[in-house]
Amino acid sequence: MNYMPGTASLIDDIDKKHLVLLRDGRTLIGFLRSIDQFANLVFHQTVERIHVGKKFGDIPRGIFIVRGENVVLLGEIDVDKLCDNVLQQVSIEEILEEQRLQQQAKQKTEKAKVTALKDRGLSIPKADNLDEY
Amino acid sequence: MTDSEQPETETAVSQPQWPENGGQWSDEEGGAGMDECGLAEMAEEDEEIDIYNNETFGMDMDTEVGDTEGDPTNPLFKFGEKPPAPPALPSLSPSSPSFSPRARPQLRVQGPPGRRGRGQRGGQAMAQMFEDPAVVRTVEGRPSLQSLDSAIVDVGSVSYWDDLDPDAWMLSSYERTRHASGSVLQDPAIVCVMDSHAPGRGPNYLDSHYPFSNSSGRRGGLRGSYSNRPFGQRCPSQINTMLPSSPIVSRRPFTTQQPYNQVGGLPSPRPCPSTPQPLTPKMMQLRFGANSPRPSPFYSPSSNRVQRFRFPGPVTQLHPQHRRLLSQRQQRSQRKPDSWDPYCNLMSAKEKEWIIRLQMIQLQSENPHLDDYYYQEYYRRMEAKLAEEELGMRGKREPPKLTTPYVTKMDSYTPVVHIEGSLGQVAVSTCFSPRRAINAVAAHCPHEELKDIRQQRLDVLKKIEKLFMVLLEVEEGQRMKAQVLGEGEEKGLMEKTEIKVEYIYSQLQHPDLEAEEEFLPCLLVSKGKQLLARLLPFLSHDAALKVLSMVTSHLPVLMSRDADESLPVLYPSLRIVIGGMTFSQLIGVLKDFTTSLPDSSDGSVCLSLVCQSKFGLSLLYALLSQGERLLSSDVPLEPSIGDFETWTDTVFLVASQLSQSALVEPLLLPSNLLTLFCRYLDKRTIHQLKSNMESATGYLALPS
Repeated sequence: MNYMPGTASLIDDIDKKHLVLLRDGRTLIGFLRSIDQFANLVFHQTVERIHVGKKFGDIPRGIFIVRGENVVLLGEIDVDKLCDNVLQQVSIEEILEEQRLQQQAKQKTEKAKVTALKDRGLSIPKADNLDEY
Repeated sequence: MTDSEQPETETAVSQPQWPENGGQWSDEEGGAGMDECGLAEMAEEDEEIDIYNNETFGMDMDTEVGDTEGDPTNPLFKFGEKPPAPPALPSLSPSSPSFSPRARPQLRVQGPPGRRGRGQRGGQAMAQMFEDPAVVRTVEGRPSLQSLDSAIVDVGSVSYWDDLDPDAWMLSSYERTRHASGSVLQDPAIVCVMDSHAPGRGPNYLDSHYPFSNSSGRRGGLRGSYSNRPFGQRCPSQINTMLPSSPIVSRRPFTTQQPYNQVGGLPSPRPCPSTPQPLTPKMMQLRFGANSPRPSPFYSPSSNRVQRFRFPGPVTQLHPQHRRLLSQRQQRSQRKPDSWDPYCNLMSAKEKEWIIRLQMIQLQSENPHLDDYYYQEYYRRMEAKLAEEELGMRGKREPPKLTTPYVTKMDSYTPVVHIEGSLGQVAVSTCFSPRRAINAVAAHCPHEELKDIRQQRLDVLKKIEKLFMVLLEVEEGQRMKAQVLGEGEEKGLMEKTEIKVEYIYSQLQHPDLEAEEEFLPCLLVSKGKQLLARLLPFLSHDAALKVLSMVTSHLPVLMSRDADESLPVLYPSLRIVIGGMTFSQLIGVLKDFTTSLPDSSDGSVCLSLVCQSKFGLSLLYALLSQGERLLSSDVPLEPSIGDFETWTDTVFLVASQLSQSALVEPLLLPSNLLTLFCRYLDKRTIHQLKSNMESATGYLALPS
């Protein structure tokens, strides 16, 4: 039950297990222990979960303090619900390796794209060229 | 003195020291039994103790302790008597607000347990712990989890509304907040809000030893004044060493140290050169634990401590349903089994309340229907529905509505603070602006030519943004005019709008360029076009005409540099302007379309370009249509000399151009165009023209 009807508040989420997606793309899972008015979050028993394809790996991180502006979204995890059968958990080393490969592949395609465009005299506009603010 | 304390000391040593003795922590429910009256009594007792302690533990602990013994009300004395081996009470979650040291942290540590009834053992143990002379004061902080792991059992008795004396706590925190210097964590908005409510409170606290006898401000005052002396005496940096979990061997508990530790921005009117001005991380941590600043606009200093939340005047209370919800929630959480999270309730109820209040402050607005439209609308509809349903029924239940406490908003605050000696600006986070962007101060380049293209472009964009803000205000004023305003208000509003419009207009003109090219920089940017389009309705007719003529004269440039096709946004506004033109003005504008370069023999360059541009063509059509309208109407035209000739020439020229080149589809095709052409041209040309226009538009221009 919300303390303030008509509003959204993190008060009710305290001490529950959450998944938070940060602006830099990291996914953290942990118990939300404390918040403040800027939605800075204190996570306890945090685990950073890396997803590559259908595999994922957990890196235990301990206590996290996340500055509120870096949060994209945050959601409660239902501990009672069964875990997803589709995703397969692997070891940390493996998932990091997979991630590295994924990054490499991405960079390659990006580079190829840019080269192709350049050959055709086009360019993907950067933010400072755009008209609108 | 010593002998009375030694047995106590010995026994104290044998006991597990705080915070390990979690089992001995008193509990609010079982051991407390404190009701409203009890608190009032305690208040008076507290007062006595305060004064007493103040005298006793003044500058010189050693000498004055001796005086305590004779005092029959000496809590120390009684303390010495009482064996510090209490029956094990249900352990208390450190976050429970009803743990009395919380409310009277500094002063209760020596109260005899029997007399006070709760929390004394904890306080007593605490006093023993902090016997280090380095310790200035101790205050109930947050025990470390390691030590309390096994001991913490969440009793869940976080009661928000009862069993607590919030006023003193609030005031003490308030006072601390008020005087903490240089704390970036301190929320200026809240402090300012508090300040606005209690302007005269501050200095009193620190000036006198016994500032108030019966006022609840006394506590904070005493504490504050008390703190000054030891503060001046002791090395302030030792405050930093103070953590609740630091083990300190107990010696003579009440002789060598003041068992209080005012952490977090100890206010000291006397400048202590060794005072660390910025709060250390440890202090800051403690600040946000038990000592977090509480917004106290809801409390008046003289409010009755028995009645917890009495809001002054227009302040609205939390909705009764809200309160019910909260108490229900507590009951529910209390009923939850204990065998769960040992780390839960790190956030105390007080802290949650604080955040909720902060959020409520943020929700306040003078214009809720504007700021919080969906909420207001939703509840309005819900209530209307309920009213319909329960018409005639008793006890119509109102849906839980959010009533925010009313707090006078600060009109201005400095979200960007300049600290002396700093190299730049510091953004202070407040609840109104959590992340304030510090504007990078652009190095102003005095010479226009030296600025590179990008810089110029950025300048133009920045200017347009600022003008847009003003334009939004203008439009808002326009909308408000529709509402019923008093005559005086309306006039004032009109004047303000006028000023703003003129401001925008003048700003759009670039000062350095020639008269003709003033608007160009802004107009070449698509957002500038939008701005102008929205501004046009507000401009005077002359100014609007000027804009129009400027647009038409620079049409080729505009059309060619209209990469994202944003010119058509100007069309509707310009069309309206055209609709109000006189014949002479029209002719003047039309000339721009037909001026040809001296060496070109092929008609005007402009016209050929116009045929390819939607906007240009539509503009041309609009002009011609206006001319036709004027001619065919009965209104006297008052033409200047040569107008009609120019008009005829123009028509011919345009017609020939239109019939020759492929046309694009215009934004709007006026219906009287062909009528116009029919009058002047031969059939063949008309036919050609018609087919051309029709092919462009895809429908019959005029039934032939």
